[in-house]
Amino acid sequence: MSQSLHQAGVKLLNALSRNADLIMQVYLSGSLHEAEATPGVVENLKKLGILWRPEPGAPLRLKKAIRTLLEGSLHDERNRQIDANIGSALASLKTLAQHYKEALHHHRYAEGQAHLNDLTEHVYALTESLGNNVRVLFSRINNEFGYVASIDAKIRENELAQNQVSELLSQLELFRFDELSDVAGSNRELRHLLVVALQQSFSRCTQELSIAQSRLLELLGRFREFRGRTRLLKGFVLHMEQQPDFMPANYANHSQVPLLFNQARPLLQPAAVDVNRVDHEAELLELVGRIKALHRADKPRDEQRAAQSIDVEQQGQVELDDQAIHQAVESYFCEIIDTGKRLTALEYLGQQQLEFDPEVWIYQVIGGYQGLNDEERQYFELATEIEDHPIFDGNKIVRDVELGLR
Amino acid sequence: MISEQGRILERLLGGDFICEISDEDAWRYLQQPGHFEAVDQYLATLNRSLSTAAEGQVFFAAYRTLGDNERKVLSTQFQEIAAGLMPLVEWLLLIQQSSGSDVPVTQGSTIRSNELQTTIEDTPAFKEQLAKIARYRLFNSNSTEVVGQLNLVFKRLTELGYLLRPNPDKQIYIATGKVEYLYEVLRFIDETEALSLSEQAESAIAQGSLL
Repeated sequence: MSQSLHQAGVKLLNALSRNADLIMQVYLSGSLHEAEATPGVVENLKKLGILWRPEPGAPLRLKKAIRTLLEGSLHDERNRQIDANIGSALASLKTLAQHYKEALHHHRYAEGQAHLNDLTEHVYALTESLGNNVRVLFSRINNEFGYVASIDAKIRENELAQNQVSELLSQLELFRFDELSDVAGSNRELRHLLVVALQQSFSRCTQELSIAQSRLLELLGRFREFRGRTRLLKGFVLHMEQQPDFMPANYANHSQVPLLFNQARPLLQPAAVDVNRVDHEAELLELVGRIKALHRADKPRDEQRAAQSIDVEQQGQVELDDQAIHQAVESYFCEIIDTGKRLTALEYLGQQQLEFDPEVWIYQVIGGYQGLNDEERQYFELATEIEDHPIFDGNKIVRDVELGLR
Repeated sequence: MISEQGRILERLLGGDFICEISDEDAWRYLQQPGHFEAVDQYLATLNRSLSTAAEGQVFFAAYRTLGDNERKVLSTQFQEIAAGLMPLVEWLLLIQQSSGSDVPVTQGSTIRSNELQTTIEDTPAFKEQLAKIARYRLFNSNSTEVVGQLNLVFKRLTELGYLLRPNPDKQIYIATGKVEYLYEVLRFIDETEALSLSEQAESAIAQGSLL
C-alpha cells in the first residue's frame, strides 16, 4: 500500500516538475489557454488532480491545493486569504487525542502510534497556518497595500484586513487550554503537543496580531488623512471652476487676524564689514584677494582691444610735429635776407623770445642751412663760434652760429 | 561662534519657515518647551512673536501687535497667498495624479522631476495641466516645452520654500513643512467661508464626474 502511494506521489511531483512552465502560466494568469497546450498533457494533469474545470465550458484552473502551495512558498502578496477555521481544527485535535488514548488503553500500540503521528501532523499544520496568516497580514501592512492604486481601494483593503484580524482573534478565543490539558491528561506526548506547542504558537500569534491591529489602525488613519487632503484639493479646484471669481475675504482686515495669516515681513539685511576688527583680518584679506581675481576675470569691455574693421589704404606721409621750429628757422633766414646783417642764432632766439631749447635751436639752424640746396646755400654764410672742450681735447663745442649773406 | 538660538533667530527674522525638512536641528530645538519661550522673548523686542502652524510642524515669525503698517503688510501678503492658491493646488494634484500611487504630497515627500517629466510627456492630459499651471502669474512661464515649464515651476517653488533640493546635482526635491501650511490655509478658508470642499468633492466622485 505505502509503496504504491509512494509511487503515485513521485509520479505527481514529476508531472508537476515536467509541466512547471505551464503550471506557472496558469498560476499567474488564473486559467489555462487550452489552445496553447498539448491536449495529452492537459488530460494527464486533469487526471492527476492538478488542473480542474469548475463548470462545463469554463477554462481550466489550478487546484486550490497547488495554488496554496505556490502562494505559501513564493510569499506571494496576492494571497489575501486567511484561513480562520480554528474551531474545527481544534475539534479534530480533541477527537484524535481521544482515539490515541483509547488505543493506548487497549494496548494497541501500533494503532496508537499511527494516531499520534496524525495528531502531530494536525497540530503542526494548525501552528503553521496561524503563523502563515499573521505573515500574510504583515506583508500587506508592510507595503502599505501597494498592490492597489487608489487611496479608496487602500482603505477598503485595510478594512478587510481589520475584519480578518478580528475574525482571527475571535477564533483564537476558541483555544481553551484547560480543556486541552484535561484531554492530554498525564500523557507526556499529548501534553507536549496539545499544551506546550499550541500554547507557544497561540501566544506568539496573539501578540503579533495585536501589533498588526494597531498598525492597521494607524495606516487607516493615515489613509483617511490622505483622502481628506485629496478631497480638499479636488474640492477647491471644483469650487474654483464653479465660481471662478471666488476670493476669500481678506482676513488681515479683521479685528482679530488669524494666527495663520500673521506672518512678519523679513527684517534682516546683511551686516556690513567692520574693517577695524583684527580677528577678521585674514578673512577680509582673502575676500579682497578674491575681488582682485574677480576684477581681472571680469574686465570691462575694452573698445580698443575689441575687434575692429581695418581699412587698408595708402599710408599718408608721416609728418613730424616740428612745424613751429621749421617756420622759426625759415623766418630767421628771411630776417637775414631782409636786413642783410649778420646775426647769431642765439641773438635771434633772444630777440624773438622763442621758447625753443637753445641747443635744439642751434641744431635746427645748422640743419636748416645744410638742408638748403647748393644754389641757395651760396647766398648764405654760416660761421660757427667754437671752443675747445675743457677736458677732452680735440672735441669742439659749438656755442653759437652766425648767419650772414655772402 | 554663533549660537543655535542666534542662528534660529536669524532665519526667523529673515522670513523663513522652519520645519523638520528645511532645518531639522532648529525644528528640534524649538520643540523643547523652554526654548520656544526664549526665542519668543527675543523676538518680542522687534515686535515679533514665534508662531507655529500645522500642528507644530512649522514655525515662523509673526507680528506681536498690529498697527496700521503691519496690517498693510499682512493685507498684501494675504492677497499674494490667495492668488497663489489655485496654481499650487493644481500643481499638488498634478504631482499626486502622475505619481501613480495616488498619495498626496506631504512634508517629506520626495519628487523626482525627471520621472515626473517622463510621465507628463507621455500623457497629453497632464501636459495640458502643466501648461495651464505654468502660465499662472505665480510661475509666469512662456515656455512651450515640458522641460522648460517643469524647471521653472520647480525653481519657483524652491524659491518660495515649498520644496528643497538637497543635492544640486540631482533632480530630487523634498516637500517642506510649508506644504502643510498650505493645506492648513485651505482648511481654514474652507471652514471660514463654509465652502464644504470635501463634500463637494465627494458628491462629484459619487457622480463620477470628477476632473
